[in-house]
Amino acid sequence: MTTATTPPAAPPAPPAAVAGTRSRTLPFWANPRLGLVIVIVVLVALFSSLTPAFLDPRLTLAPLQADISVYAVVGLAQLAVLSLGHMNMAVGRMAALSTFAMGLAYDRLGVPLLVGLAVGLAVGAAIGALAGLVIARTGVNSFVVTLALDFGLLGLVTILYTRATDGVAFAVKPAGLAELRFDTFADYCLGEVCGPRVPLVVPFALVAALAVGLLFRSARLGREILMTGANPVAAQLSGIPTHRRVVAAHALSGLLAALAGFLLAANNGAFSANIGESFLLPSFLAPVLGGTLLAGGAVSVLGTVLGATLTQVIYKGLNLLQFSLEDLKLYIGLVLLAALSLDRMRAVLAERRAVSSS
Amino acid sequence: MKRTALARLGVGLVAFALTATTAACTKKSDADTGDTAGRMNPEQMKVALVPGGSHPYFQPWKDAGAKAKADFKLGDVTYNETAGWDQTKQNDVLKSLAAQGYNAFGIFGVSPDNINSTFEDLKRQGYPVASLASCPAGDVNKADFCLSTDVELAAYKAAKAAIDAMGGQGNLVHLTGNKVDSNTQRRIKGVEKAVAETGGKVVLLQNVTDIDKDLQSAQKAVADLLAAKGNQIQAIVNTAYNPSVASAEGVKQAKLAIKVIAIDDDKTILDGIRDGSVAGTVLQNPVGQAYVGSYALSKLAGGCTMSQPGVIIDSGSFVVTKANVDGYEADRSAKTDELKKEFDATYLTCR
Repeated sequence: MTTATTPPAAPPAPPAAVAGTRSRTLPFWANPRLGLVIVIVVLVALFSSLTPAFLDPRLTLAPLQADISVYAVVGLAQLAVLSLGHMNMAVGRMAALSTFAMGLAYDRLGVPLLVGLAVGLAVGAAIGALAGLVIARTGVNSFVVTLALDFGLLGLVTILYTRATDGVAFAVKPAGLAELRFDTFADYCLGEVCGPRVPLVVPFALVAALAVGLLFRSARLGREILMTGANPVAAQLSGIPTHRRVVAAHALSGLLAALAGFLLAANNGAFSANIGESFLLPSFLAPVLGGTLLAGGAVSVLGTVLGATLTQVIYKGLNLLQFSLEDLKLYIGLVLLAALSLDRMRAVLAERRAVSSS
Repeated sequence: MKRTALARLGVGLVAFALTATTAACTKKSDADTGDTAGRMNPEQMKVALVPGGSHPYFQPWKDAGAKAKADFKLGDVTYNETAGWDQTKQNDVLKSLAAQGYNAFGIFGVSPDNINSTFEDLKRQGYPVASLASCPAGDVNKADFCLSTDVELAAYKAAKAAIDAMGGQGNLVHLTGNKVDSNTQRRIKGVEKAVAETGGKVVLLQNVTDIDKDLQSAQKAVADLLAAKGNQIQAIVNTAYNPSVASAEGVKQAKLAIKVIAIDDDKTILDGIRDGSVAGTVLQNPVGQAYVGSYALSKLAGGCTMSQPGVIIDSGSFVVTKANVDGYEADRSAKTDELKKEFDATYLTCR
C-alpha cells in the first residue's frame, strides 16, 4: 500500500512518489515492498536452517508476531508525521504518557480494558495535537518542537509515576490483560476448530495499519495531509487548511504512539514508566526501510509493516544464534545495510531495464 | 487495491477478531505448559544467567557459571547480557533462550517493577526461575527465590562506614543510580536511616541520582558536585558502581579531604583503599549469586521444591577498609559456601 502525491513543482522525483507512473513502465519486481519480502523470506530460511528453534511456534513465532505488532504501530506513528515531512522525536514519551493515563484509569477508576485503552488513545491524540498546533502556529521545525516536548514529557512522566505509584509501574492488572499477553487464537476454539497461533495483540496492529492505509489512500483528510507534505504552499493555494492538516497528522501520530504503548504494556504485562524508551530509532527505521520518504508527500503502510518485520526477524534470529552484545549490534547494522543495498541494486536494475525497453 | 476491497478486508478482520474473542468460543482449559515439568538429571539442565545488560558487576557471573557447570555436572550454563537494559529486550532474550532449550533461568530483571510478569511467564512454562542480584519491587517475588544483596542493608552499612570515616559529624552526599528504580529508593532509605541515627550530627546534603548509566555521566556529575560544594562535604557514600569510580578519582585529583565510601571492587577503588584516597568500599557477592543460584536451580529442576516459594535471601555485603583489603576474598568465599549449605538445610525441600 504505497500512497503518494506528486508535487506540482518538479523536484527530483522521489522513488515512492512516482509509484503510479513507474508501475506502468517498470517490471513487477521493481516494487520496493517486494524487495523487503524477498529479504525477509531469505532471512527466515537462513535462520531456520541455522537454528530450528526459529520455527518454534510457542517460544519464537508467537512472541515475534507480538513484537512486530508493537514496532509496526511505532513505525506508523512516525509515518503519520513523515507524511508531512515532519518528525516526531517524542514518539516514545507520548506512548509513556498515554500508558500512564491508561494505568491510572485502570488503577483508580477500575475501568475495563478497552475503556482504559480509549482514555490512553485520547491522551496520545491530545498531546500529538498540541505538538502539531505549536508547529503549525509558530512555524518552528517539528524536530525542535518534538525534541523539546520529549524532554518535557521525560520529566513529567517520571514525576507522575513517582506521585501515582509506589515505584515506577502500576501494579493493577485489568481483566483481559493477561489473556492479551499470553493467549493466541489457538487457545480459543469453536467446537473442534481452533484459531491460528496468532497472539491476540496482532489484530490491534492490523486494524491500525488498515485504518492508516485507508486514510492515506482513500480519505480526503489523508490525501490533503500528503499534499501538505509534498508542497505546503501549493496545498494552501489549493484551499487545503494546511495548519489543521498538520495538527491532524501529529494527533494521529500521538494516537498511534499511545496504541503502541498499550501493545507493549500488554506484551510486558505492566504499565510502567520505561514504556517507549526504545521506540525512537525503530520508529524511523520501519517506515524508511519500507520506502516512506523523510521529505514528506509519500508514505507506505505495507512497507512500514514489512520494515518492522525485517528488523524484528533480524533481531530474533541473531538472538537465537546467541550473538554477543557487540556482535548483535554490529550484525544488525550490517544486515540492514546489506538489505538496503540489495534493494537499491534491484531498483537501479529495474530502472535500467525500463529505460532500455522504452 | 480498490477502496471497497480494502474496506471489506478491514471489516472482515475486525469481524474475525471479534468472533474469535466472543463468548461463542471456548477457551482451552489450560495455558501452555512446557516440557520441563518433572525431574531432570543435572546433565539435562541448561541454565541461562541473564543480567539486565552489560555491566562490570556481572562479569564474575561468567566464571561462576562455568564453575557451577563443572562442579554440579550441569548440561550447560550460558551467560547472555544482550538485554541492553531494556525489559522488552530482556523478555525477548529469555524467550529466545527457552526456544534454544535452556530450561532454568537466573535473571537480574531490568525493571524490578514489572519483572514479576516475566517470572510468571517463565514459571507458567514450567521453568525454575531465580531472581539474582535484584529482587522485584514490592512484597511479592514470583520467582522461586531471590538471591540478592539486601540493598537497603548494604547502603546502611556503607553510610555507617562513611559516618565513621568522617568522625561522626559533618555533611554527607549520596551518589546512586536510576531514580525510577525501586532498588535506588531502598538504597536512599538505607542511607537516610544511618544518617537519622546520628541525631542531626550528620546532614545528608543531597541524594544525587541517575548517574550510573556510564562512567562519563558519573564523572561529569562528580566534577559539578565538587566544584559547587567540594568544601562543604566531609564524605561521599556511593551505592552504584560508576559514581564510585568517578568519585574516587575526582576527590583524589581535586586533592580534597573528602572521605569516599565506594561500592564493589574495581581496581581503581582497591588501589584507592591501599593509598588511602578511598576510605572503604562495600562489596557484594556476584560469584555467590551466580554459583549458588545455578546450584539451587539444578536442585529445583531435579525435583526439589522451595520450602517457602519466593523467599528473599541476602547474598551478603562486606565492608572493606585498608585493614582487610587483602583478605576480603576469603570472607566472600565463606559466605558463598554458607549460602549453599543454607539452601540444602533450610530453603530447599528435597524428597
